[in-house]
Amino acid sequence: MSLPGPDPLVVVPLVDAQEVQFWMEMAVGGVAASPETQRDTCRHLGRLRDLLQVLLTHMNNTSSTTEAMHRLPFLGQLLGRLCWTPHVTADAVCRRLLLESMWSLYSEEPSSPVEMKANHWIRSVLCQLSTEDEDPVTQILVQHATVPPKHYHLNVLRKLVSLLSEKMGRSCSSLSKPSQRCSCDTLLAVSETYIPLVTCPEAAPLIGAMLERTATCVRATLSQDFLDAVSAAYLRNGLCLEDEAVVSLWCHSLPSLEEAVMSQLDSLLSGSRPTLRITEQQLAGCLLPRACARHAPLFLIVNDIFRFLLQRVEGHQPLRSVVHSFTRCFLREVARLQPQERAPMKAFFPNTPRQLLQPLLVPPTEMPPEAWADHLTWIVQSLQRLTEEEEESDEDTGTRGQRVVFEAWLLLVQCAHWVEVAVQLLVSPGPGDREAGGVRELWSRSRTLLADPSPLATSEPLRSLAELLVSLGAKPRPLAPGLALGILVNAAVLSGEPIARATEVVCTVVRRCGLVTEEALCVLSSSADLLGLQGAEGRLSSGDPDRGQRLRTRALQEALTHADMMDTC
Amino acid sequence: MEGVLNNLKNTAELLAVAQTDVVKQWDKQTLDRAFQWTLYCQHLHSRFYSNKAIRTIMERQLQATNESLRATFPGYADIAFVDLSRCQHVLLTKLLKNPALPKAIVGILCGSLSPMEMNDNEQQDATGHCNQLIACKSACRVLRAMHRKTTAFPSGDAEVQGMMLMERLDAAFGGGGGGGEEEARELLESMLHTCEEEDNVIEVIASALTRNNTTTAEIASHGFLLKWLQQNEQMLLKLCLHVPVEYIMRQVGENMQFRAVYCDVLRRWASDMTFDIHEGEWVPTGTMAGGSFEKLTCHFRALFETCPLQREDMETELKARKTSDGDFDVKGLSVWGDLLAVLTT
Repeated sequence: MSLPGPDPLVVVPLVDAQEVQFWMEMAVGGVAASPETQRDTCRHLGRLRDLLQVLLTHMNNTSSTTEAMHRLPFLGQLLGRLCWTPHVTADAVCRRLLLESMWSLYSEEPSSPVEMKANHWIRSVLCQLSTEDEDPVTQILVQHATVPPKHYHLNVLRKLVSLLSEKMGRSCSSLSKPSQRCSCDTLLAVSETYIPLVTCPEAAPLIGAMLERTATCVRATLSQDFLDAVSAAYLRNGLCLEDEAVVSLWCHSLPSLEEAVMSQLDSLLSGSRPTLRITEQQLAGCLLPRACARHAPLFLIVNDIFRFLLQRVEGHQPLRSVVHSFTRCFLREVARLQPQERAPMKAFFPNTPRQLLQPLLVPPTEMPPEAWADHLTWIVQSLQRLTEEEEESDEDTGTRGQRVVFEAWLLLVQCAHWVEVAVQLLVSPGPGDREAGGVRELWSRSRTLLADPSPLATSEPLRSLAELLVSLGAKPRPLAPGLALGILVNAAVLSGEPIARATEVVCTVVRRCGLVTEEALCVLSSSADLLGLQGAEGRLSSGDPDRGQRLRTRALQEALTHADMMDTC
Repeated sequence: MEGVLNNLKNTAELLAVAQTDVVKQWDKQTLDRAFQWTLYCQHLHSRFYSNKAIRTIMERQLQATNESLRATFPGYADIAFVDLSRCQHVLLTKLLKNPALPKAIVGILCGSLSPMEMNDNEQQDATGHCNQLIACKSACRVLRAMHRKTTAFPSGDAEVQGMMLMERLDAAFGGGGGGGEEEARELLESMLHTCEEEDNVIEVIASALTRNNTTTAEIASHGFLLKWLQQNEQMLLKLCLHVPVEYIMRQVGENMQFRAVYCDVLRRWASDMTFDIHEGEWVPTGTMAGGSFEKLTCHFRALFETCPLQREDMETELKARKTSDGDFDVKGLSVWGDLLAVLTT
């Protein structure tokens, strides 16, 4: 059925004539089209969406249907054919554009026979497409069973989806009879035919079953167009997939994995500053660490993304915290796997110096605190050896050496728990021959400042601490600002001064010395973590030996957050 | 009750108005309310379908309304109680056949919905009504084509229809009023009457039979369907011809009564065969057209496999029938003898 009009193939140069011709031929068979044509249609739905959008814009720019028909004489025939092509109308975007086009052609006050005929045509196409294909059995059952037509069609759709999904799982024979043909051989072609269904929420279980198939059968391959469509629908149009299916999608579609990582980072880094614990809670509920633990290739890609971002924004403490939290969640998920499911750690960190890997990956909580110092000394020596080797290496191997050092640094970011332990040990009272003179000096000046009762505006110790910070930052081997901050914050937590005073000192130093409040909060959040302070309901019982420290940590966190908010305002 | 009857009358009037020029004045609110009223009537249908007394009152009300509407609106099509189950569909069809339908209403019916809204089956207003129906049907067409390629029986539609049939029968037997048999028979007869020529009725019944039944009502429905089939020999013959043997065997293995009737069908099938001298083989006649000798032997073999005890009895019977046909060992003289020959080799 088509609209009346002049010779349909005389295409005005408003749109690409070849494109129109292509779709005229493609949509000629409707439901009876050959499987190849159906697959071609599905593969090129993106092109069709573009064409329909262009046509719709032209239609909206004309003053009447008569004018639209005159300028786009092929319109009726093209729309008519496309409406009867289920692989086109099953795609949500094409369907919307087709219906909008029909609506656009519908005249409020038809003023000519052409417009009256067009209105009649549009109404009858809509009527046929929505109501008229029920066989007598369906009609009888709808009349007697209390299932209205809309529900009936939905039921049929769900049934077909469940039958086809079940069959998808049942019919694979690649494991039992590897030499025979397996039904999964046809999955590539099937997946092309199903491209429009990714926009249909009811079809989600079938899409999921197809994705999962690729994880269990080597013969099962999905078309790239299908994977792209699924990925777009999953990320943007709320396609609901089971976890296994999503992991399978990530394994087969790099853009989809990248987008998942980036959107996770966005949600963690935007908005209010997350504490280490909140970040970890968010990540623990997310599928990525679990998927990475099971699939080393996924972890490698996620790690590559982190590596790239860390290189771009080197000093970004919140990003480092996220990388650290992610690694902790990942390690926890690895530990949960059965030993036979676990890949060796080398598969996850192929370029990391072997001697560092295990010592850094082990969490401090799995070791008695008395052993921390020795463990750290061992790590420091290994790191030192690595950097020395890098400095000694000749030009040819220099790049390689740098890469090794970079990988070691990255692992240190990922396993930042040991850096925190190191800071804690540096400032803890007790015997210890800590080498870093600057660090000790910083520690003692911080303590002096905290104990000094004079007003901060005129405080001599404050001036001297600020000077030290500047000189430490300018040395040939400058002290990392994060470490300086860590020492100051820890001094405040451990000092016996009133909380208000400690807070005032930390805020002033942070502001005067151009340190970043956000980083101070990260340090606090890590020490809170080491102290086992859990959220707002942390254990603050009076019998707790660390109670004072916990209270001060929390007070400092609150004060700094408040001060930062005031600054931002 | 008076309120319900009044609403019924108003909705019938609304449907009559939907095919007139009055729709030119309709806006979104009017359209939404019209869809809500038709949805209300769909609920009335499901609520009172099995309640004979109320249903009769409602049918009487509809009759009276139809008469007065027929007088007022030329070309008015009567609304029966059973039409209420598809009331929204009736409204949609009437609107789309009306030349006075305003552009704004077309826009609302075609409008897009977010996936969240699409999932809401009980969505009451009219927005995107056409869009949703087309979406669902198009997806069904895409999947149906794929399903048909790999599975001959049953089709997805037949499975859903079989379920719907059984659920209706369950409701009839679960009512406790004792009128279940009558209602069930009425439904099956009307289905048979309207769709006699349709082969898919058989598919629907075959899928209905394969359901797992646990509740009393479900067991009663299943029992009734088998009983009804036994009383409709034609139907049973068609079932044997069109439905894969393994589906029939499931019933044969589980139900003694059905087995006996099935054996009768096989006897009838065999006795209706004649030997074609030119082709040199047995060919079916009459109602069993399409039921070849090979197919018949397939059924016998399947029966023997499913019920080994039946084998001995049946073989004895075939021997007796062969003897009464003269007991010749020549092909083409006795269908029983030839069957026996094939089945015992």
